[in-house]
Order: sequence, then C-alpha cells, then structure tokens
Amino acid sequence: MKKTPTKQTVILNLLLTFSTLVSILPMVYMLSTALRPNGALYEFPPRFFPSLDAITLENFSFVLFQSTFYLNFLNSVFVSVVSVALAAIVSAALGFILGKFNFKGKKILFALIIVTMIIPGTTLIVPQFELAFKLGAVNKLPWLIPFYVAWVIPFSTFMIKGFMEGIPNEILDAAFIDGADIFTIFFRIALPLASPAIASVSIFNFLTAWEEYPWANTVINDNNLRTLPIAIAGFFGQHQFTQWGYVFAMSTISLIPILLVFIFFQKYFVTGLSAGSVKG
Amino acid sequence: MDSKLQSNKRQMIVLLFPGLLIFGVFTIYPIAKLFLMSFFQWDFGSMLDQEFIGFSNYKDVLSDSFFWMTFANTLAYTFITVPAQMLLGLLVAVLIHEIKRLQVFFRVMHYLPVITSWVIVSLVFRYIFNTEGLLNYFLNNTLNVVDGNIRWLDSRWSALSVAMLLGIWKGVGWNMVIFLAALQQVPSDLYEAAEIDGCNAFLRFFTITLPSIRGTILFAWIMLTIGGFNVFTSIKMITGGGPAHQTDTMLTWMYYKAFSTGKLGYSASLSFMMALTLGLLAFFQFKAMKDKDMEAKNLK
Repeated sequence: MKKTPTKQTVILNLLLTFSTLVSILPMVYMLSTALRPNGALYEFPPRFFPSLDAITLENFSFVLFQSTFYLNFLNSVFVSVVSVALAAIVSAALGFILGKFNFKGKKILFALIIVTMIIPGTTLIVPQFELAFKLGAVNKLPWLIPFYVAWVIPFSTFMIKGFMEGIPNEILDAAFIDGADIFTIFFRIALPLASPAIASVSIFNFLTAWEEYPWANTVINDNNLRTLPIAIAGFFGQHQFTQWGYVFAMSTISLIPILLVFIFFQKYFVTGLSAGSVKG
Repeated sequence: MDSKLQSNKRQMIVLLFPGLLIFGVFTIYPIAKLFLMSFFQWDFGSMLDQEFIGFSNYKDVLSDSFFWMTFANTLAYTFITVPAQMLLGLLVAVLIHEIKRLQVFFRVMHYLPVITSWVIVSLVFRYIFNTEGLLNYFLNNTLNVVDGNIRWLDSRWSALSVAMLLGIWKGVGWNMVIFLAALQQVPSDLYEAAEIDGCNAFLRFFTITLPSIRGTILFAWIMLTIGGFNVFTSIKMITGGGPAHQTDTMLTWMYYKAFSTGKLGYSASLSFMMALTLGLLAFFQFKAMKDKDMEAKNLK
C-alpha cells in the first residue's frame, strides 16, 4: 500500500526543489550558452534556453580541435594527478608517524603544520614568487606541483593522522613481532588501512589543484603551459569579453572531470568532510 | 607501540622527511620570508638589492586610504557572506534531514556550486549581471520593474553585492554538507524525550539541535572567516577591482601593488598583518566557543 505524502513532506520537497534550481541554474545557463552560436555577443532578446534549431556544437568543436585548449586540459590533468598522488603519500607518512609514534617535539611539529591552515594561501604569494624566482621555477609547469602539495599537506596530514590513531596498536605490534620494520608496516598495513581517509582528502586535493587560479596565473605565462583556470580566464580577457560561447564551452569541458570524481567517490567525500568538522 | 619499533629512528625520519621538506621549503620558508620582506624596501626591479627600512612599509600601508577602502570591502564581504552562507546552509541541511527520499539527490545538486571552479562561476555571474545580460533583460522586459539597464558591475557596492551573492550562492552547499553530517550525529532519543515533554519543533531546534551542533558551527565559522578574507578570484574575474580599485579586496589590492606596481615590501607587510589578524581572530573564535562550553558545563 502506498502512503500518501503528508502536507509537511510536500512543502519540504517544494522548498528543496526551489533551492536546487537556484543552485544549478547558473550552470545550466553556462551550458545553454555554450550550445548556441558564438557569434551573437548578447542576443536580443536573451533566452535562457536556445531554441532547438539553434543548438550547435560548434563552440565545442572549435575548443577541442582548433585551439590549444587540449594542451591546457592535459596540463591540468598532469599537475592535478601528480600533486594528488604525491600529497597522498607524503601526508600519509606524516600522519602515520605523528599518529602512531612518540618522539621529542612531536606536539610542536604537529601544531606547526596545523596552524598554517589559518593563513589564507594567497597571502604567501609574494614570498612564494620570490622563491620561485630563485629556484628558476617561473613559467615551468612541473614546478606548480610542490607548491600545491605544500598547500594541501596540513589538512591532509590532520585528517589522515586522526584516522591512523584509530588503527589498533595490536595490529602493528603483531606485524612487528613477525619481523616487519617500520617501512613494511607503513606500506603493507597502515597505508591500506587508512585508504578511506586518504581517498577522501585526495578528492579535495584534486579539486584544489584543478581549480587553482592565483598562483598558476602568477608564475605561468606561456599559453601552452597554462592550466585550465588560467587558460579560460586568459582567453576571456584576451578576446575583450566577447567570446562567451567558447569561454563557456571550455568551462563545461573543464567541469566534467570534477563531476566524475565527485560522483564516483561520493561516499568518501561526505565522510571526509564530516570527520573534520564534527570533531571540532 | 612497541618500544623496539619505536627505537628505529632512522626509518621514522625517512618517512617524515619528504613531507617536511616540501612543507618546509614551500610553506614555512615563505612565511618567514614574508615577515622579513615586510621590513625591506623590496621592489620588483631590484630583487637582489634591498634596503632595511624598519616599519616604513607598515606605515605606508596603514596611511594608505586605498588600503582602508579594500579593508572595508573585505570586512563587508566577510560579515555578510559568512552568516548568510551558514544560515542558508543550515536551513537546507535541516530540510534534507527531514525528508526521507531523495536525500542524496538534493545533497549532490546543492553541492554542485561548491565543486565548480571560482573562475567558471565568476564568469557565469559576470555574464548574467552584465549590462546587456539576462538579469537586466528579465527586470526590464519581462517584469517591467526597472526602466533601462542597470550597470551592476560599474559601481562599488552593486558590484561588490554581485561578488557577495556569488560567495553566498557558492558556499551554501559546503555548509549544508557539514551541517547535515552534524545533524545526523544528534542522538534521536533527545528529540523523543523532548517530544514527550511537549516541546514543539521550533523549541526542539533551539534547545537540542543548535547546542548539539555547536562544534560544527564553530568549525564552519572559522573556516568561512578565513575564506572570506581570502576572496580573490571572484573579484579578479567580475570587476578586476575596478572602477578605480573601488571593488578591490585586501588580497587583490595586495596583488596589484606587488605585481603591477612592483612594491613587494608593501604587499608583504599587508599580507603579514592580514595573516596575523586572522590567526588572532581564529584564536579568539575558538576561545569564545570554548568559554561557552565551560559555562554550559558549569550550569549542569
């Protein structure tokens, strides 16, 4: 037997439908602008949806086949994937040692790592630029990676350390009695056990690297070396704010990997977010 | 841990080393350098030749009326967007918590703005609020409530309002997810007991829900305050700080001084003051919440 929904349920769902529309309409408008001819700067009258016969993929085909946009896409994939992998392994190692061992200065070291989370990343852009200048890292794509990794280490270490602390000592001690050393215990036992925590921080680290704008915009000048956010922003500025169709086709394409990551790793990202906050 | 395992210092150091190296070089060194640079005459053209000038950069910043304007803009942005995001996020979280079906669907939809990059959403908002854009057409020709197109992005407070609206819109989903997680942790027997005592939904929210999620409220408040002061990309994309720096925030102004006028020392002292202020603010926010906690415990 089907229960008829109560009046309260109907109202709740109506409110949620409304706020869902508010949440997604800008992205729908982005997509609908990308799907119409690029020529018309501002159509008059502007339409939210293009008329069916006006729908075209010409913006997408231009962006994918006639521009260097695919290079920007590959640059972003390279920088983000390597940053996430490197951040995962070094933060897991930090979290393992800080969570499972005692040594002199441990508390101070952990506090030093955590306290940097308070500082907005962009405030460090001037000394970081000076550092990049000294290292010869200006306009070199792979050099974005250590900056991004350093950026995400505090939050990642904090989350993974909390998870490592929850692994029973007995498991690690048993492995030790069987003759395993710290390396073996880390790679064979702690790392696999902590994989849910590592997965959840990795999703956020991927998003951070994928969408990062101020730093990449400061150190990368060459168009072929640009990552997606600065390529899109650069293209937008370069064309005197007229090529909206191309801009939004690029935006739509750059959104796809993020959507895939979040859809496939749904369960990890919710646990990750809540673990950090509920403790607080 | 076993003491013998504990004694293998060499392997512990090897595991700590890569992370600490990267963190030390690319975060700790810049923090120290920021502090040092703020006391030097450090110009773009003379990266290698600097002069110690004491607190001159600090004086320059604090006597600069442009700095105070960008300070006011940043403060307004933070004071408006932080509570608005938290209230709306909590509201949506409560709504989703109350329904039984489609929870995942609504959660994903509300999270979409959070995962879309700042560059993209800023451009979409710019397009919508453009003088010839969709919003003006809607107000002008569909609703007929205004006469002529409003130049949203050409004056200080209306352009900042667009940036604030974007900040709120983009932040609701993040708040919703962490508040929803907190709501799910509140023990349901508390609600049942209150219901038996005749508490209505309204009272239950204020006497049970809010106190129970206090830790999460604090966490969100601190993170969002830091985020509010960090506003940068949306301003760059929507107004570029214009007209005449009137919509610049502290960070876009700092960036302009460093990379367009070459005054690295000025920017370093501005950044350092900002980082220090935020550190103190976060400390007092924590303390305020902790004190309230203590009070609550004493009452019991």
